[in-house]
Amino acid sequence: MKTRFWTMAFLLTAFALASGCQKHADSTKADLLLRAYDIEADWTDAQHITPLNYRQAQGKRLFYQYCVWCHADATPAGPSNRSNLTPVPALLNDGATLNTESDEYIQNIIALGGSAMGKSAMMPPYGRMLSADEIRSLIAFTRAIAQPPYQPPGRPGSQYSAK
Amino acid sequence: MSAEQMGKLTYRMRLVFAVSSIVFLAVLAISPFKDYRREWKQYKRSYLRFAQGRPDTKKLLADYNPNIDQIWLPGMNVVDRCTTCHQGITQATLADNAVPEPFRAHPPIPHNVRDWGCTVCHRGQGPATEVAEAHESTLAWEQPVLPTRFIQASCGTCHQADLPQTPQVTRGRQLLTKLNCQGCHRLPGIDRPQMLGPDLSSVGTKVSREWIYKWLKEPRTIVDKDGNATVNGYESQEEPRMPKFRLTDEELRALSAYLSTQKARPLPTYKIDARVVAAWNKNPELASQGELRFRQMFCSTCHSLAVTRAGETQLIGGDIGPELTKVGSKVKPDWLIAWLRDPQGYLPHTRMPRYGWSDEDLYKVTQYITTNLTDSDLLSNVPQLEPPSEPEIQLGRRLFLEKGCASCHVIEGVTPQKDFGPDLSALGAKNASDLEFSNAKIPHNLVSYIQAKLHDPVSVNPAARMPQYNWTASDLDAVTTALLTMKGPPPTSALQNLVVQRKEVDFQPRGAFGEVYDRYKCYTCHKFNGFGGDLAPDLSYEGSRAQRSWLVQFLKNPQTLRPTLTFRMPQFNMSEKDAAILADYITMVLQHPAANPAAVNVKQFTPAMVSLGKQLYEVKYQCQSCHTIGGTGGYVGPNLNNAGNWLTAAWIEAWLQNPQALVPDTIEPRRTFTGEEVQALTAYLMTLRAATNPPQKTADVTGSRRADQGVGR
Repeated sequence: MKTRFWTMAFLLTAFALASGCQKHADSTKADLLLRAYDIEADWTDAQHITPLNYRQAQGKRLFYQYCVWCHADATPAGPSNRSNLTPVPALLNDGATLNTESDEYIQNIIALGGSAMGKSAMMPPYGRMLSADEIRSLIAFTRAIAQPPYQPPGRPGSQYSAK
Repeated sequence: MSAEQMGKLTYRMRLVFAVSSIVFLAVLAISPFKDYRREWKQYKRSYLRFAQGRPDTKKLLADYNPNIDQIWLPGMNVVDRCTTCHQGITQATLADNAVPEPFRAHPPIPHNVRDWGCTVCHRGQGPATEVAEAHESTLAWEQPVLPTRFIQASCGTCHQADLPQTPQVTRGRQLLTKLNCQGCHRLPGIDRPQMLGPDLSSVGTKVSREWIYKWLKEPRTIVDKDGNATVNGYESQEEPRMPKFRLTDEELRALSAYLSTQKARPLPTYKIDARVVAAWNKNPELASQGELRFRQMFCSTCHSLAVTRAGETQLIGGDIGPELTKVGSKVKPDWLIAWLRDPQGYLPHTRMPRYGWSDEDLYKVTQYITTNLTDSDLLSNVPQLEPPSEPEIQLGRRLFLEKGCASCHVIEGVTPQKDFGPDLSALGAKNASDLEFSNAKIPHNLVSYIQAKLHDPVSVNPAARMPQYNWTASDLDAVTTALLTMKGPPPTSALQNLVVQRKEVDFQPRGAFGEVYDRYKCYTCHKFNGFGGDLAPDLSYEGSRAQRSWLVQFLKNPQTLRPTLTFRMPQFNMSEKDAAILADYITMVLQHPAANPAAVNVKQFTPAMVSLGKQLYEVKYQCQSCHTIGGTGGYVGPNLNNAGNWLTAAWIEAWLQNPQALVPDTIEPRRTFTGEEVQALTAYLMTLRAATNPPQKTADVTGSRRADQGVGR
C-alpha cells in the first residue's frame, strides 16, 4: 500500500517534470564536406584565405568585373593595365594607402571619378553605372582584403553576448 | 474500509499527503518558471539589454514587443517567427560584424523580409520558437536551414534566368549542361543540346578497338590528392565531359568490340593531290609548317594542347572541342582528312566549323597532327584484343543500353531507354527521410546526400549506375547549389507567379546568310539576340557598330582589337562571296534602335570639333587610360587606331551617351558628356584610320582559357 503511494507520487512527479522538459533535436555534426564558398585568397600569400560575408562577396564579384583591370596586377585575362598608367593606380588590397581613407571618400571617388576629387582623370566616374549599394559592397570587399588589415575608426566596443 | 477507519488516518499517511502536495505545488511552479526561461523570451530580454546599451536605443526599440513576432504570408505558405529572436534584422545600424547574433541586420538584398519572410530562402522551420527546432531537422519538421554557402540556390528557385548576383548557380547550371546530366536525368531549365555525347554510329571508322577499350577504362586518367584532373597525364582545369564508368574487363572487351564494328556511314575517300604530297615530302620542315598553320587557323580557340613552360606541363587552349595532345595516336589518318574537310558529314551536330581547305594546308596540318601530336605509349596498357567475336558484340550492344551509354550517345538503330536516371526536378525539396543513405557515414540531410552522391555515387547506393565524376571543391558546391534550386512546381499560385522564367532563345536565320552562318558555326562563340556562345563579342547589334567594308575585311582576315585578350577568331579562309553575304546581313538586320545613322551627319564634323574631341580624349577625360591610339594607351578597351574605318559615327554617339543601352554588361562607365562633347569625340574618333591590311600576327595560344572569364565587351 505504502509503496504504491510512493510509486504513484514519484511517477506523477517524474511525468510532470518530463512533460515540461524541452526535447532538443539532435544537432547535426559539423560536416567536413561543407566549407565556406565565398573566400578570397591573399594576393601575396595564397595560403592565407579570407572568408567573405554576403556584402563582401558581392563586392568581389563587382571588383573582378569592373576594377580588376587597373587595380590588380593579375587579371582574369592575363596582363594588367595597371603598370601602363601614370600615376600608377593603388592596388585594391593596399591597406597602407586605402585604410586611411574614409568610406565616404572612396564612395565619392568611385561614383564621381578621379578628376572630381582632385586626383587623376584616368579614374572614370562609375556613379551612373553602379548603384550606391554596389559601391558600398566594393568598399566592403576592399576593407576585407586590405593588407595591413583595416581597422574601422571608432567602432563602439561590443561586449554584449547573445544571452 | 469503514467510516471510522477512514477518519483515523495514521500519522504516516498524513505525512505522505503533506509531502506529495508540496511536491505537486513545486511541480506546478515549474511551469511558469519554465515559461519565463523559454529560449525566445531570453533572446527578447537580451535584445532589450543590448539595445539599451547602444546610442540609438530609441530607434532599435521603436517596434519592440515582448511577444512572439510572426511574419504571416498565407499566399506563400510563410509563417515565420524567426524575427522573434532575430530582432535587428531590418536595423541598418546593426549591420556590423561586431553585433552579436541573432541581432545582426540582414545584408542588403533586393527583397524585404516583411514581404518575403525568411524560410522562403533560408528554409528551416518558420513556426518553431526554439533554436534547435527552427534550424535543424526534427522528427516532425524535416527541412533544416540551408547552409549559407548554398544560399544562392534559393535565388535560383524562382530566378530560373541567370542573375549576375548568383555566379554559383550560373556555374552549377553550366556544369549540369556541359556534363550532359540531362542525358539521364530530368532537369528542368537545363538546356538540352541537339547532341549530348558524340554520335557513335560510325565510330569504327574513326578509332581502333584498343583505343575505345582504353578510353572506356580511364577517360580521365589521373586525379591527384588536391582533386586536379589530368587528361592523358596533363593537368586540366576542366572536368572532361566523359565520366568514368566502373566497367569490368569483360564489359570493356564487349563494349569495345561492339563500338569498333559501328561503321554506318562509310568514309568518303579523298586523295590529296599527288604533286602536293611529292613537293612536301622533300621538305624536312613539314611538321613545323603544319604546326604554324595549325596556330594560324586558331585551332587552339576550341582545342587544347599540352604545353610545357618552366618545367610545368599544362593544357592550354579552349575547351569547346576535345583536347588534342595525343590525337594522332587516336584517330585513323583517313578519318582525319575526311573530318577536317567536312565535320558535319561525320557528326551532323558538331560545332566544328567547315573550313575552306587548300590541299596544301590540309596535307601540312594532317601531317603535323599524325606525326607530332602522338604518344607511342598511349595504348601500352591495353591487353591484346582479338577481332571482335559475335557474342562479344551482342553483349556490348546490351551493355550499351544497360550502362546508359545510349542516353548520351546516338547509334543509328538503337533506341535509348527513356528516363534512364531518376527525375531530379524536385530533388531540392526532398526531406532526408525520402533519401537512401545506405551505410554511408554522413549526416542525414539533403545537402550531404547530394554532395556524397556527386562525389562518389556508390557511397550512398552500392548499386548506383551513375558514373564517377571528379569535382573540384568549388564545382561540387556549384552543382549542389544548382540541384538545390530544383524544388519542383511551386506549392502555391503566389509562388508560381514569382518564378522568373528562363528565356527560350534561338537564332537560326534562313537563306544564304543562314547557310554560311551554320557552316562557320558563328554561334559557337558569338551571341546573336541572346542565342550562342560567350567566348567572343555579342554580335546582336554588330550592324549598327561596324562599317560594312570593315566587316568584309575582318572576316577575310581577322585581326585583334583588344590587346589584353588573346585573339581567337579562326582563320576560315573565307571567300569574298561568303564574307559579303555575312556582312550584308549583319549590316542590314543586326541593328540597334538607339544608334540611328540618319541622325548623324559625318560631313558636318569640322576640324575645330576634331581638335576639341582630341583635347577631351587626351586631357579632360583621359580615355587613354583604357584605350590605345598610336602606340600608347591602355589595354582595357578596344584599340581605337582604326576607329574611323571600323565604327559607325551613329554607334560612337549612341555609345558615348549610354554604353549600357547598347551592350548591357560592358564595363565602360556611363558618363555625363554634353551633346557638344559627344559630337566632338565622335568627330575625333572618326578621323582615326590605320593603313589597311597590317601584317598578320601569328597566334599565341597562351591564356586563352583564362581570357574567356569575366571579360566585358
